[in-house]
Amino acid sequence: MENKEIKKYTITIFTENKPGVLYHIADVFLRRKINIESLTVSEIESGGVSRFTIVQHLDQETTIKVVKQLNKIIEVLKVYASLDDELYYNETALVKVGYKTKEDISAIYNIVSHEGAKVVFVNSTSVIVEGSGTEKDIETLLNALKPFGIKDIAISGRTAVLIHDKASILPEED
Amino acid sequence: MKKITRHMSGAQAVVQSIIDAGADTIFGYPGGAIMPVYDALYDYKDKIHHILVRHEQGASHAAEGYARVTGKSAVCIVTSGPGATNLVTGVTDAMIDSVPMVCITGQVPTAVIGTDAFQEADVIGIMTPITKWCYQITKAEEIPYIMAKAFYIANTGRPGPVVIDITKNAQFESLEYKYPKKIEIPGYKPNYLPNLNKIKKAAQIINKAKNPFVLVGHGVLIAKAEKELREFIEKGEFPIAATLHGLSSFPSDHKQYVGMLGMHGNYGPNKLTNKADVILAIGLRFDDRVTGRVSDYAKNVKIIHIDIDTAELNKIIKSEIAIQSDAKQALKALTPLIKKKSHKMWLEEFRKCDEQEDKKVHQLEAYPKNGQIRMAEVVRILSEKTKGEAVIIADVGQHQMIAARYYKFKNPNSYITSGGLGTMGFALPAAIGAKVADSKKEVVAIIGDGSFQMNIQELGTIFQENLPVKIIILNNDFLGMVRQWQELFFDNRYSFVDLKNPDFVAISKGYFIPAEKVEKREQLDQALNRLLEAKGPYLLDVKVLKEGNVFPMVPSGASVDEIRLE
Repeated sequence: MENKEIKKYTITIFTENKPGVLYHIADVFLRRKINIESLTVSEIESGGVSRFTIVQHLDQETTIKVVKQLNKIIEVLKVYASLDDELYYNETALVKVGYKTKEDISAIYNIVSHEGAKVVFVNSTSVIVEGSGTEKDIETLLNALKPFGIKDIAISGRTAVLIHDKASILPEED
Repeated sequence: MKKITRHMSGAQAVVQSIIDAGADTIFGYPGGAIMPVYDALYDYKDKIHHILVRHEQGASHAAEGYARVTGKSAVCIVTSGPGATNLVTGVTDAMIDSVPMVCITGQVPTAVIGTDAFQEADVIGIMTPITKWCYQITKAEEIPYIMAKAFYIANTGRPGPVVIDITKNAQFESLEYKYPKKIEIPGYKPNYLPNLNKIKKAAQIINKAKNPFVLVGHGVLIAKAEKELREFIEKGEFPIAATLHGLSSFPSDHKQYVGMLGMHGNYGPNKLTNKADVILAIGLRFDDRVTGRVSDYAKNVKIIHIDIDTAELNKIIKSEIAIQSDAKQALKALTPLIKKKSHKMWLEEFRKCDEQEDKKVHQLEAYPKNGQIRMAEVVRILSEKTKGEAVIIADVGQHQMIAARYYKFKNPNSYITSGGLGTMGFALPAAIGAKVADSKKEVVAIIGDGSFQMNIQELGTIFQENLPVKIIILNNDFLGMVRQWQELFFDNRYSFVDLKNPDFVAISKGYFIPAEKVEKREQLDQALNRLLEAKGPYLLDVKVLKEGNVFPMVPSGASVDEIRLE
C-alpha cells in the first residue's frame, strides 16, 4: 500500500565504473524535477564497481518509480532504496572555526570534546574540527560552533549500509 | 595454428561488425568525420545494402520502418555534429515506441574533443536520455566488442535505440579483429519467463471473471506471439481490443475482436472498459491516450498486467497482479490453465456499441453519398482493394487515426506509425524502410498534407532506390488534428493551421515519381487502381473534406466512458 507521505529515502546504486553513468543517474532525477539533496560516489573494492549513495526526501510511489528507472540503466548492477530505520548511516564534517582569544580556543576544545568530535588542525587564527555521526549530530556540532564564526564547512554526504539482508524498495515486482 | 583474428582498420571493423551482427541494411549519409567508414563500405557493396537518404532524420525513421516490419535492427550511419543531432528526433521516437536500431555517428578525433572543433557535438551528452545505451569509441580495439554489445542491447528485453559515437582516429587505427561469440553484461540480464505462481493466480482470476476483457499492445508483436494470442483468445472466448501499436496483432475480422482502444479508438472498447470485472493487459503500457482520465480508468476492475519492462508495471495503473514477462512466454504458460468458456452476453454488449458507432460515424465517414471525398472512404476502399494485406505506414494526425480505424489489417506488423512521440514526417522515410525490409509486401504510406512536407526530401531516396512505395496524401489544406481541437475546444479560433500547399503532383513528378491528383469521388476508384497496379513508386494527392473531424473521441481529460460519437 503506497502513500503520498514524504519520507527520507536513501537510494543505493552499484554501477560499473564508467564515464557517463553519473550523468545518466542524475538525468533520472532531473526528468522528475527532483533536486538531488545529497550524492556521494566512490569506487568500492577493485574491479571497477562504483557505489552511489543518494539521500532524498520523496514519497514511496516516486521512490519505487525512480528505483525502477535507475535499474534500467545498462551500467547499473544493483539498486535499492531504504528508510533510515533500515540502515546504519554516517557522515563526516570538517569545520574550520576562527578564534581570537585563549578563552575562545579553550571553549572550542570543550565543545569538541562534549560532542565527541576532534580537533585535527590548529594555527594562530583557526581550528579545524572533524566530527562524524548522523545528520542531526553534525547539525548539533555546527550550532555549537557557530558563535565563534565558521570560516568553512565541508560535509561528506551519507555513507550507509543495510542492517538486514534486503532493502524495502527493490526494482523487481516480486 | 589457425589465425583467429584479422588485421584491419577500425573503419573496416565497423562494417565487418555490422555484418557479423547479422544486419544487412544501412540507412546513411556520409560526412567528414565518418569518411573512413564510408571508404571501407565501398569494398562491401555486395555484402551490405546501403541506402543514401536525403536527411539524417530520414535515415532514423527508415530504420524504424525496417525494424517494425522485420523485428531486426537496421543501422544508421551518419557524420558528426549536425549529422548526429539530426538523428535526435528519430532516436527519441524509437525509444518511446520500443523500436530496435543501432546508430553510428562519426566524431571528431580524440585529440580535439571538447575544443568546439568543426562539426563537433556532445553526442553522448545529447543521446544519453533518449537511448537504451550509448557509448563513445575512442580506440579501434574496442570496436568489435562494443558493436556486438550495441546490437545485443538494441534487440533484447524491451527493444530500443543504441548510439555508438566513433572518433575519426579510431576509424583510422588498426586492430586485430575478432567478433565476440557472446556478450555478458553484468547489469543487464533481460528476463523473458513469467513467475509461474503469478500466472496461476492470474488464471484463477480470469476463470472466475464474468466480464473479462483482453487488451493487447505492441509487446505482442515484438514477442511474435500472434499465434499464442489467438489460441488463448479462442479458448476463453474473450473480447479483445488493441492499442494503436497493437493493431494487426490479432485479425480484425475475428469474431472476438472488438476494436481499437484510445482517444480515437472504437466506441465499444472505451465505453465498456469500466464495465469489465477483469482486464488482462498484455504488452502495453497504459499510455494516456488509452486511459483517458486515470482516476476514472477501470476503477473497479481487477487488472492483470503483463509486460517485459518491470518499470511499466504499476507505473500508471495499479494492477492486481503484475507479471514481468515476454508476451509469448506468458501466453504459453497461461493458456493451458484457462477454462474453455464463452462470454456471449458480454461480447453482445460490444456489438451493440458497434451498431451505434456504425450508424453515427462509419456510414457517414466511409460510405458518404455526396460532398467532398472523406478520408475514411479512401482508406475503406484501399482496404477492400488490397484485401487488408498491405503494410500501412501512417504519419501523424487525423489521417493517422482514420487509417488505424478503417483499414482491416490481416497480417501482423501491417500498421506502422509514430505513436508515443507522434512525430510528423515519420511516414515517408518509414515507408522506405518497410519496403526495403520486405519488397514482396505492398507498402502504402498514408500521409497528411502537413506531415508530407516535413520529410518531403525523401522522395529523392525513393526515386534513387526505385522503391515501389505507394503514397496517398489525404489533403485537406489544414493541420487537421490541431484544427479539430481548435474547433471543439478553442472556439473555432483557427490559429495558424491553414496550409497554402504546393502542387504535390508537380513535386512528385519533379522527383520522377508518377503522380496524379484526385478531386472528385468518381475519380477515386480508378486512381487507386493505377496506384496499386504501378510497378514503381506512385503518388496520389487526394483532396478531402476540409473541415472533417475524427470521431469517436475521448476528449483530453475525460474518462474513457465519456467517449463522444459526435
